[in-house]
Amino acid sequence: MPENMSISVNGQSQVPPGFRFHPTEEELLQYYLRKKVSYEKIDLDVIRDVDLNKLEPWDIQEVCKIGTTPQNDWYFFSHKDKKYPTGTRTNRATAAGFWKATGRDKVIQSNCKRIGMRKTLVFYKGRAPHGLKSDWIMHEYRLDDNVTDTDISNAIGEASQEEGWVVCRIFKKKNLHKTLDSPMSSSFTAETRSQMFDSCNGGALEQMLQYMGNGKEEEMNEAKSSARTFLRPIETGMKNGYHERFMKLPSLESPNSTSSQCYYQHNIHPEMIIENEGSSVTNPNSVYNQMDSAALTNWAALDRLVASQLNGQTEASRQLACFNDPTNTMPYCSTDHDLQFSTLRSSSSSSNRSYHPTQDYNSEIDLWSFARSSSSFSSSDDPLCHVSNAPV
Amino acid sequence: MGDNNVNLPPGFRFCPTDEELVVHFLHRKASLLPCHPDVIPDLDLYPYDPWDLDGKALAEGNKWYFYSRRTQNRVTCNGYWKAMGNEEPVMNSSSKSVGMKKILVFHTGEAPSGIKTNWIMQEYRLSDSAGSTSRSSKRRGHPKIDYSTWVICRVYERDDDDDGTELSCLDEVFLSLDDLDEISLPI
Repeated sequence: MPENMSISVNGQSQVPPGFRFHPTEEELLQYYLRKKVSYEKIDLDVIRDVDLNKLEPWDIQEVCKIGTTPQNDWYFFSHKDKKYPTGTRTNRATAAGFWKATGRDKVIQSNCKRIGMRKTLVFYKGRAPHGLKSDWIMHEYRLDDNVTDTDISNAIGEASQEEGWVVCRIFKKKNLHKTLDSPMSSSFTAETRSQMFDSCNGGALEQMLQYMGNGKEEEMNEAKSSARTFLRPIETGMKNGYHERFMKLPSLESPNSTSSQCYYQHNIHPEMIIENEGSSVTNPNSVYNQMDSAALTNWAALDRLVASQLNGQTEASRQLACFNDPTNTMPYCSTDHDLQFSTLRSSSSSSNRSYHPTQDYNSEIDLWSFARSSSSFSSSDDPLCHVSNAPV
Repeated sequence: MGDNNVNLPPGFRFCPTDEELVVHFLHRKASLLPCHPDVIPDLDLYPYDPWDLDGKALAEGNKWYFYSRRTQNRVTCNGYWKAMGNEEPVMNSSSKSVGMKKILVFHTGEAPSGIKTNWIMQEYRLSDSAGSTSRSSKRRGHPKIDYSTWVICRVYERDDDDDGTELSCLDEVFLSLDDLDEISLPI
């Protein structure tokens, strides 16, 4: 029986039958990327170097195939040194399209220790900002040994994160939430939401909180328990047959803009935000009742809730500051969007550790404007009314 | 398994396709050809409960693999495997049927009043035409154990079948919010 299992992977493959390259995130970072950055030889040429600007995703699958067996995902190293002339952001454009980052980076841990970060990118065909979103997804992993949380200033942190070797995995996303793909439904139908909630349940919450916590474990745990409180009414609601209502997108009690803003204040009570921040403990029942009575049937309120969860500490404390600021008694009654956006902008660029400030800023705005637009959405016959939402 | 060390670099895992299980592993086993790598153990004589397979069957992730023989009644110490639905053909890359696949669900207790569990078995056998020894078993009935037919079993506890090509719910949310860039942020 042949004992020599030495294999050459790319090119003519000798991977024994039945075996696939399915590395864990930890293996990718700790074994492969670590060896790559320290110029150590990797036993096998499993992961190739790819110039992301030269290859389309569908070409990558040809270059990076391992053996002859069918694959669902493909791995490669990429060196991030291509910048736009005007900034520090990586140029990930190809001949046919471009990779665009989405969401927030995820912390990768090994034995409870932070070892790296994962960025999620989506491939768009065409040229920004008119690209057509595809199903190609990339997870880009980077080590973050050199970047400590506090010591290094933002500028240095950004620079070091924007250069060097990363290991990437691309795959074609399975479409579970089909309705999300059509442009018409991109404004989030009620069905989509309830699907999301049906299929996500606890898992999504955990993830949201991971994003929120972003490495700050104690806070995360506290936040976790408080956010469970947030979600509980939803779960109970579903069980008690409120599900029907979710499906239909309940009409708002306050169709005109003035009263819907009051509604907003009513629902996002400072108390809830404090709890969200994890800095104080309030009676969960009060939140529960509040949610149960008022917010349950109001999608806009739920949006804001999610938005405050997603935006995490920075935004929450900002809101809190707004609420507590005696000179600004009704911050959310202001109808001037630009004013609020600039507030958000300043808070996110000053205190957010993100190295894509513009992008994060955008997504935060998205969340907020989305929450707003959806409240006005149902109050008017014109489906595009939220484009010109701000009264002049 | 024993003396067959598969020295692969980190990240390689045993995730065979249906076709590989049948064409490579099962066919060679049935034809008494040496299997290389010989990683799948033969547990024919041991009717383990699914939760006892760990350490005995080949484990990869949360799936276990072992050889067994075709039998009508898979009874274990604490329950039995009950077939669900019909057998399905296993196709190779040129759409030719190379074997059959049967799904079984583990029930605790005694048939027929056992309690259904989340344990699933996928049992692969060679097609009759491709089989090495057994011929035309088209007669009805067939109550006896067919000792001539090897099968490969893949056992796992049902979970979301995630091969890693789905985005997390949160990522899906972010992704759909990206769509709103154009409509909600007029410049």
